Amino acid sequence: MSAALSALSGLRVLEIPGPYGQYAGKLLADQGAEVVLVEPPGGAATRRAAPYVADEPGPDTSLAFAYYNANKRSIVLDLDAEEGRVAFRALAASYDVVLDGSGVVGNLDALGLGYDQLSALRPELVMTVVTPFGTDGPYADHQATDLVLMALGGLLGLGGYADGIPTRAYGDQALLAAAQFAAVGTMLAVLQAERTGRGQLVDVSAQEAVVMAHENAVQWYALEHVDRRRNGGEARQAAVGVYPCRDGHVYLLAKGLGVFWDELVGWLEAEGVEGAASLRDPKWKDDAYNSSDEGKAEFATIFGRFAMNRTKAELYEAAKRARLPLCPVNTPADLIAGPQLAARGYFVDVPHPPTGRTLRMPGTPFTLSACPRAETVPAPSPGAHTADVVGPLTLGAQS
Amino acid sequence: MTVTALPLDGVRVVDFTWLGAGPYTTRTLADHGAEVIRIESAKRTDRLRVLPPFAGGRREGSVNRSGYFADRNSNKLGVTINLKDPAGVDLVLRLIATADVVASNFTPGTLQSLGLGYEQARAVKPDIIFLEMGMQGATGPDASVVGYGQTVSALTGLYHLSGLPGRVPVGTGTNYPDHVPAPAHSAFAVLVALRHHRRTGEGQYIDLSQAETMVSLLGPAVLDCSVNGRDNGPRGNRADYAAPQGVYPAAGEDRWIAISVLDDAQWTSLTAELDVPELADAYPAAADRHAAHDEIDAALAKRTAAADPFELAARLQARGVPAAAVNTFGDLIESDPQLAHRGHFAVLDHPEMGPSVYNAPPYRLRGVDGGDVGAIMRTPAPLLGQHTRDVCSRVLGLDDATIDELAGRGVLG
Repeated sequence: MSAALSALSGLRVLEIPGPYGQYAGKLLADQGAEVVLVEPPGGAATRRAAPYVADEPGPDTSLAFAYYNANKRSIVLDLDAEEGRVAFRALAASYDVVLDGSGVVGNLDALGLGYDQLSALRPELVMTVVTPFGTDGPYADHQATDLVLMALGGLLGLGGYADGIPTRAYGDQALLAAAQFAAVGTMLAVLQAERTGRGQLVDVSAQEAVVMAHENAVQWYALEHVDRRRNGGEARQAAVGVYPCRDGHVYLLAKGLGVFWDELVGWLEAEGVEGAASLRDPKWKDDAYNSSDEGKAEFATIFGRFAMNRTKAELYEAAKRARLPLCPVNTPADLIAGPQLAARGYFVDVPHPPTGRTLRMPGTPFTLSACPRAETVPAPSPGAHTADVVGPLTLGAQS
Repeated sequence: MTVTALPLDGVRVVDFTWLGAGPYTTRTLADHGAEVIRIESAKRTDRLRVLPPFAGGRREGSVNRSGYFADRNSNKLGVTINLKDPAGVDLVLRLIATADVVASNFTPGTLQSLGLGYEQARAVKPDIIFLEMGMQGATGPDASVVGYGQTVSALTGLYHLSGLPGRVPVGTGTNYPDHVPAPAHSAFAVLVALRHHRRTGEGQYIDLSQAETMVSLLGPAVLDCSVNGRDNGPRGNRADYAAPQGVYPAAGEDRWIAISVLDDAQWTSLTAELDVPELADAYPAAADRHAAHDEIDAALAKRTAAADPFELAARLQARGVPAAAVNTFGDLIESDPQLAHRGHFAVLDHPEMGPSVYNAPPYRLRGVDGGDVGAIMRTPAPLLGQHTRDVCSRVLGLDDATIDELAGRGVLG
């Protein structure tokens, strides 16, 4: 065939907007699925999430909404009214996926629009429900936020400083983790439905999505009875951790997952760093010494003589030449200005009709050689596509 | 209705992935029915095979006792082939000729230099789906930079944005991008490509950047910078949408309770439960609570410090306040009632490790055995080379004499 097809063209998705599912809807929409936000009168609450264009809060200025809902369409339906529910049922009978990102267990069931009711209309329908704890179990009705889910998923206990309070990762990563896995689970069910004609309910738990991030902490406990604790702010061992430099910090990883000690020492010697030769001492091959306070401090002193006279960008360039895993602790401004993401065309400039501005935002983090990326379409105004999407139903009912 | 088949039945994956992000990607495919064949070198094994924790706390000189490795490799087959030997490369190409997907998280270009890149794979299987997931993708000036999850966290802003103002930046305390962002996006991309293949017969090359998957999860911070020129830096546990929100000390060693207040009603309930009416009176509105967050945190900490975190969280939840004890990993396995109810942890009987704990996927496909994780969590991680003979015989059609001869020459090592 000649014309390139977007990967998910023809896949039709109804999305109940909410913080638990919006990134899943975005992943689908960015690959060419038709994703329709079903918003209540007055618009979705996600339209009011910070931050805002020019710091002016309002229903049209949310940067988060503009990002998570680009490439989607919008209809307004009052699902609290029978007329709205009739329209939703009629739509669901011809859509492939219903994605409920509200985070509320039983949200659609209570409206008579749950999986059992809709699958009776369309057996191949996939319904993905993303909630804090899953649809069943003793916590199913508990109140949750990102912080609560980070706590119950265990990751919170590993975040923060060794001497301080457990500290969460930036940016509601628990909700985003749930949404990412929701996209995966949805695609698994879609592949199966397209093959067998049978859809299913995909029941995503944000708590469990956080548990996936424990690295190896569950196995540390299960196999060795060691409960891992947070260690932020300290090197894990010599040459593994965050080190200050002239204009910020770098992360250096010369031991552990990779073995780069000799390259590191060679680099520091070639740079004429005082004391670098002492890092050849056999004691540095001993993990007990590397992990001791003395060993970590001794290394930090030697490395600091070098790093404190270099910027993070200079250290990164030099480490690349030495093929060492060292990366700058970048800020968002560094990301936007840096050459790598620019060379890959990662950021996209998207018009923002309500303000007339153009918003530079992350694009898709992978490319598919047979399915070129389409131009990013701005997030819709509330109900922008109601006539297009719902109109034909009304006409059908009248004829 | 129960669908008994798995979604990826009939899909074969030739899996070169190692360490963290790659194996978690192909694990998703294996769990859901794909036949995932790990290609390993006996000389240069996946480093996770020799990193702790180990079954019984003892490595015993084995490459088959690491729980770090095992949890990333459920339901896979393990094959050893020497890729430095042309006969080994030839065997792998014959395997690729029967496969649907090739996956790698080596630095992009590594497979090509071994004679196993996309073009070489496409020569034997024109419609192959070929995933490379380099730290920074396969193109651009930094495509060949070596790195790991922690360096990705630094590079992408997660470190800068996580932690406390004025202190050294901290991330999650883990290689976070390896465990959720990179593998979830990679698995999604492969599934999308499988759908495209089914509809058009076309395979394709997937160029995924692990760093970009992480940046895509920091979208609002990127936009605040690109549009407003702002960098808020780290804010600890605080958020625009809640006040107070924090982690407070509780009774016991390193025990904590997380509490979020989203609205005035929850504030009223929290202050009633903790018996601090003076706080309720002093800070009735959200704006007051944001402004006086430090004072409120100090006052709340005094009231939580002697409480059992699980009991207090239950009392707050009963009043509708989002709250939870900070689970330890022992809590997760042994006592969290929700994870137990959901069956999140599966126990698989491993030939060397014995019965051991694995994550199930964080979603239930209710059409697959009603959502019973037993249908998904079937076999433990492979021993090094456990399935070499099986794959050579069953998939490649080699007879025993040929397999013995290849093994004798060191091709299957």
